[in-house]
Order: sequence, then C-alpha cells, then structure tokens
Amino acid sequence: MDLDEFKEIIHRCFRCGYCKFTHNYSDFNCPSFDKYKFESFSTGGRMWLIYALMNKETEWSERVANILYSCPTCGNCMENCRFEKFNTFLVDIIEAARARAVESGFCPERQKTLLERTINPKYYNPYGEPNTNNEDLKQKYNLPNQAEWVYFIGCTSNYRQQDLRDATLKLLKSAGISFTLIDEHCCTSPLIRTGQIEPVEEFMNYNIERIQETGAKKVITSCAGCCRTLKVDFKKQDIKMDIEVLHTSELINHLLKEGKITFDSEINKIITYHDPCHIGRHLGLYDAPREVYNNIPGIDFREMERIKGDSWCCGAGGGVKIGYPDWALEISKERLEQAKKTGAQIISSTCPFCRTNLSDANIKFAMGFEILDLVEILDKIQITAHKK
Amino acid sequence: MNKEKILSELQKIVGNAFVSNDPAELYIYSIDPGASKPRSVNFVVMPASTEEVQAIVKLANEYKIPIVPMGGGLTLSGLTLPVKGGIVMDMKRMNKIVEINKLSRYALLEAGVTTGRLQAYLDKNYPELQVSVPDAPPSVTVAGNALINGSGFLTHQHGDHGAMINGLEIVLPNGELCKLGSCGLSDYWFSRGPIPDLIGLYTSSFGIMGIVTKLSIKLYPKPKMRDLVFGLFKKTDIIPNLLYKVTSTDLVEDILLGIQGKPDWMADYIFIISYITGNTQDELDKKEKKLKKMYRKNGARFMKAPPRLRDAFLEKPQFAANAADFRKGGGFEYVGSFFPLEKVPEAIEEGVKISEKYGIVPTLGARIFGATHTVMVFFTYAFNRADPDDIQNARDALKETNEITLKLGGIPWKGELEAQKMILEKIDPQYKNLLKTIKNHLDPNGIMNPGNWEVN
Repeated sequence: MDLDEFKEIIHRCFRCGYCKFTHNYSDFNCPSFDKYKFESFSTGGRMWLIYALMNKETEWSERVANILYSCPTCGNCMENCRFEKFNTFLVDIIEAARARAVESGFCPERQKTLLERTINPKYYNPYGEPNTNNEDLKQKYNLPNQAEWVYFIGCTSNYRQQDLRDATLKLLKSAGISFTLIDEHCCTSPLIRTGQIEPVEEFMNYNIERIQETGAKKVITSCAGCCRTLKVDFKKQDIKMDIEVLHTSELINHLLKEGKITFDSEINKIITYHDPCHIGRHLGLYDAPREVYNNIPGIDFREMERIKGDSWCCGAGGGVKIGYPDWALEISKERLEQAKKTGAQIISSTCPFCRTNLSDANIKFAMGFEILDLVEILDKIQITAHKK
Repeated sequence: MNKEKILSELQKIVGNAFVSNDPAELYIYSIDPGASKPRSVNFVVMPASTEEVQAIVKLANEYKIPIVPMGGGLTLSGLTLPVKGGIVMDMKRMNKIVEINKLSRYALLEAGVTTGRLQAYLDKNYPELQVSVPDAPPSVTVAGNALINGSGFLTHQHGDHGAMINGLEIVLPNGELCKLGSCGLSDYWFSRGPIPDLIGLYTSSFGIMGIVTKLSIKLYPKPKMRDLVFGLFKKTDIIPNLLYKVTSTDLVEDILLGIQGKPDWMADYIFIISYITGNTQDELDKKEKKLKKMYRKNGARFMKAPPRLRDAFLEKPQFAANAADFRKGGGFEYVGSFFPLEKVPEAIEEGVKISEKYGIVPTLGARIFGATHTVMVFFTYAFNRADPDDIQNARDALKETNEITLKLGGIPWKGELEAQKMILEKIDPQYKNLLKTIKNHLDPNGIMNPGNWEVN
C-alpha cells in the first residue's frame, strides 16, 4: 500500500510506548529500540518521523532511512500497541515508508542488492544464486507435473538451507502427499519488507501462474517469510488466487490429527522452539508447531520465557540481515541466551531464515546448540503414513 | 556555542552511539505528545552511569549549555522539551534494578527503570510486594513519575509518589554527587529522615535543582485479591461527604471518580470506583457489602459494572492513554489539579463547562490522595494532532482550566510553562524568593532545565 493511504491514521499514534514492551512489560521486546535506545528508533518514534516527513516538517536523510530500515519488522509493536484501530498497520506503514525512501533515493546500498539480484533473470532470488527450475528435484523425487499441492520451496531453503528443503520433500513423500514443484521465482518478501516494490506484482503473478499450471489448489511452504507473503501480501496486492496456503507445521499437524501419519521412533533430546515472527505475530500461528513437537516420542520440549506473541525476534527479517549483519547476529545471540536458560540441546524453528541467522550466531558466539528446523527433526525419526 | 566541540566531548563521555545531534533525533525530542509547541534541542545524550551524568553536567557548565533530564518523556506538559535549547539527557540506559529490600520494603533503582519493568520484576520475583503503579503507560520511569508527584493505585492509602521516595542520588548542577535521605549516612535506603528533608527540593521542580540518578521508592504488601465496587450519582454536591465517609474506614485501597460525556448513558452520572483488596473472597464480599450500604446512605447507588469496564479499571496500569484517540488524533493533555476536598464539586462543574465550551467531550476524573488530604481532579482534553486549530483549542481549554484551578484554591499539577507562570504570579513572594535563592545558589550558570520555574 502507498504511504498516502495511511495518512489518516499515522498521526493517531500517541507515542505511549506500549509497542516497545512484552505483554507484561518485563522488558523491551522491540529489537531496534533495545539496541539503539533513542526514541526515534521505537515504532512510535518512526510513526512520528514518517508523519513529519509527509508534512515536510523534516527531510529525508541517510539517518532517517537508517532509522526506518533498522527494524526487523518482527511485529512486536503490532502485538503490543493498544490502539486497535491502527495497530495492525504499524509494520505496513514502516514498509510503505521504506518504499517512499526508495522513491526518494534513500534505500540503503546493502538492501538494494536484494532487488538487483532478484530482478536479474539469471537469479530471480535475493541470494544471487543461479535460478533453478527445480526439474532435477522433480526427477529425483519422482514428482508429477500435475498435483493437489505445490511445495513452494522458497529461496532460503532452495539456495541456503537445502537440508531443510530435502527434509521437507522427504516428509511430503513419506506422508503420501500429492505434490509437485514449480520453477519458482522469489516470493518477493525481501522486496516488500525493504520497500523495493516495483517488480512485486509481476513476480507474484508469475508464481501464481506457475502454481495454477499444476492444477494445485493448495500450496505448502516451509518458509515463514514465503508463508506470510503468500497468505497476506498477495491478497493486499489484489492478486487473483483461489489457493489455500499452509505452512508445513500446519500441514503436519493436520496429518497427525487426522491419523494420516504417526511418529514411530524416538528422539531423546531437549528441544526449545523459536517462534518465527512472520508466522507467529504476523499470522498467529503458534499452536500447530508446538502440537507437532509434543507428538514426537522421546522429546523433552521446553519453552523459553519469551514465546508466542512475546517471542524475541531472531533478527534476520525486514532486510536487517543484509543491511546490518553484525546487529542481526547480536539479536540472535540474545535469543540463544534465552534458549540456554531452558537447558535445551536443540533450538528448533519453522523458518529457514531464522534457522540461518540462529545458526550463524550459534557459530559466531560458540553457543554450542544444534539448530534444526522442525522438518529436519522429523527427518531423524520414523514416520509412517496411514491411508484414511 | 561550539557545537562540534560539544558533540565530540559528549561522544567521548557516552560513546558515539549514544549521542546525537542529527535532525531526526532532534525532531523527536523537540516534541511531546501533549499540546505544547515544539521546542528546539541541540543534542540528545544517553548516559549509562552516574559518572557519565556527572561528566556531562560538568561539560554543560563549561559551555553554559542547558541540560534537560528525561525519563519516559510522557509528562504531556512539555517538561522535557528544552525552553532554551541545549542537551536532552535521556536516562533510559540507566536501567538497573539495584536492590529490592524485601524486609524494609523498598526498591533501589537507577533513574531509567520503567514502571512497567519494576511492576513485572516484582510480580515475578517478589509477588508479595507491590509498587504504586501510575495511570500512565508502562514506559514512564519510576523516578520521573515520582519526581513530578505522580500518583497511582496506592495513593489513597500512602499519598502521592513523591511521598513514597525514601532517598535520592543526585548529580548537583555543579556535577558533584549528593545522596539525600538515609542513604546519605547509611547503607540502607529506607527512610527520608529524621534529618533535614531536602528531597522535596527535587519533586515537582522539573530538573532545575539537579539530575536524579538513583532513587529508593517504597514498596507495599500486596493482598492476594483485588476488586472494584462501582457506584454512581448525579449531583456533585454529595462528593465531599461521600468521600469523607468512605475514607473514614479502612475499607478501600484506592478511590477514583469518573465523569465521561460518552457513551450517552454515562453522561448524566458521576462514578465512584472503590478498589477493595483482601486475601479471601469472603473478605472482599464483606467490604463490598459495607461499601454498598455506605454509598446508599450518602446519596450514591451501587452499580454492577459491565465486565469490560471492570477489567479496564482493574488493569495495572490503566490504559489511560486511550484518551489520545478520542478525536482520532494521537493527542491529549490534561490538567491534573490538586484540590482540597471541599472544592472538588466546583472544580468538576467548571471542568465540564470548559469542555463543553471548547467542544470537547467532557472526560474528567479524580483520584483521592491520602485519605482525602488532597484530591487530584484531572480535566482531559483530547485533540487531533493533524489539526493545528484543534491543538490550539486544547491549549486554550488548558489555560482556562489552570485559571479556574488557581481561582478555586487548587494547584495545577506538572504544569506546563504557562501554568508555572500563573502559579508563580500567585504564590507568596517569599516562597518565590526562597526558591530563587536556592536555585541560583545551586545552579549559578542556569543550566538546569532553564525556563522552568523561572524566578530569576
């Protein structure tokens, strides 16, 4: 949405500061405010700055752009802002302001590479990796051209977290799901989050067309960012799609509840779960992953202190990982320290981008965890499909 | 002013990351959510320790540049907006809960600890203790709120938050460190006296006497259960007797009055909300029964509150900031005026008239301090931040309310500059002289939030 569409609500932010906290006010839970401390780096500060920019009370500058971009769009502000008439729009407003920064020539250089790589016909992904049409995977897993489901792999799983991708493919096969793959291009989450929206509609239409060619009416994704984009941003963009989108954790939970799969071997580890912001606070998907973990035999599942709506962000989202790589790892380090208190051996998540950043921090700060996605844990156990 | 030199010196003290003179920060710190006009800021600095505060104050003396300390920045009356430019010292990096003394029931805190964090910390670690939680967002600081004589959920029993201060660590205007209260001579921050009480110099003086870096605030036992007994009545003239009678007992922990023009069903009534506490349901039931009887005997009647209303009033802190959206505009300011009990009916009547005159839905309330030793009546004026005329309308309503307050014998609370001027015009000349003598002696360079309580 264009920033002007929010003009009637931006000034309604009072800057009361609820957006900075956890639900019970135990600490600041906005990574950006926690780091930079200036009021300008709170969501309220950003709203006031954006309003001032719109009214020309202040001007665009590198500092203003940095204030707007140093936010992982984790949604803690949406979760804790008390003003129900506009709290759901807070991240949208920040993203729309970033789009205005792009138009005004103030997109930070590092974030620009996301666009440059994504629109490059060699790549079509933000990592600058040669685009794969996924035909080799289709052959390897003997996948049809037409199917009930499309597994939308997502760029991070396909180009950075192939273990997670392969575990998902194996899981879907062993569960007896009728699915296929497409020659997917980036879902555009990194572009939307960083305000580089010019090619978004074209990319969305491309992906929808590829999905429709398979005859699938359902899409599964193992990426929280893709999931939020397909479920929310496609609709906001008015993309015509009669397609149900499910995150892998939702699908697995459905299959368990319907008795279509069972977990038939144990994993004797202490595991804690990190809620990805883009399926957590952005979509409210908290219970399905937990129900799956709690169905795994042998698992000792322990919660961190800040979970669900209070979850501390991993620090990767919103262009922070590419824009502020050191800070992104600092944010993850904080999460790892929270996990340490549970005694967990494994930190598990349901997002390849969270997995990447948590893993990077785990290595950099020698925290000694095993970082695994839910599907990677399931890959270690015996799963039996049952015809029902 | 050699801005580059000052910037460089500030950076040496707190590090580059925690000082800014960028227009983006200066803009945000030049404007607060109340109706005050923006005022320019030269630097924002965030010290992490008392030593850093001292170094900044010494620097400010050297360059004769004003310093304005800031807690949560939510006074709504512009008290953290510099009148004469200078440095805004944002205290939030000084956020340590230094000590909770369970037996002597106090919390020793750095000046940047928020009320929300202290409340959550006690709930988790000391569930038998509580702090008086103000009707302000959780982002306000305990120190900031106490130093403006804020009030909250235990104020009826224990007075305003300024009265709950046991001790202060202060960086004086010359940069020296001073401890007031028992901490001045003891390891325990348990009491203000019995020694000459200088802590009062630092309450409601808005930073003109120095910068508070630590404070000890009283904590109180926390009963297991808490509930409300709502009552309503139509005539203001019953208020003094009703409150006098209710506060003559030990039935209530806290008492509020509420007057709201919307929704329509509320418009004709004044609501009394008595907070009752206890350790058993039976105890609460008995208190409720007695209060119902007391309401009836004194001209009010009991009202079973709708669950939503009940929950809103039981929430700690109350979401008072919702007034900011009454005009879909992100702004409100209120005059909270301290009155003697006998003047409360007139104050409320005048407040309703002023609201109506300025086309603002009447939203007033009152909180009882220390068994009716004081009643704080608040007159809330919401405005639309996007509409300059609406902001001016709220300013005009505020001014008129301040005038009426003083005329009725009350005192505006945390008054903005104009209110401070009105108070100083009315105040005993010798009071003013004494204030001037103390202030000029402590701060000969006039660097501490100058423009506030201007008696030079």
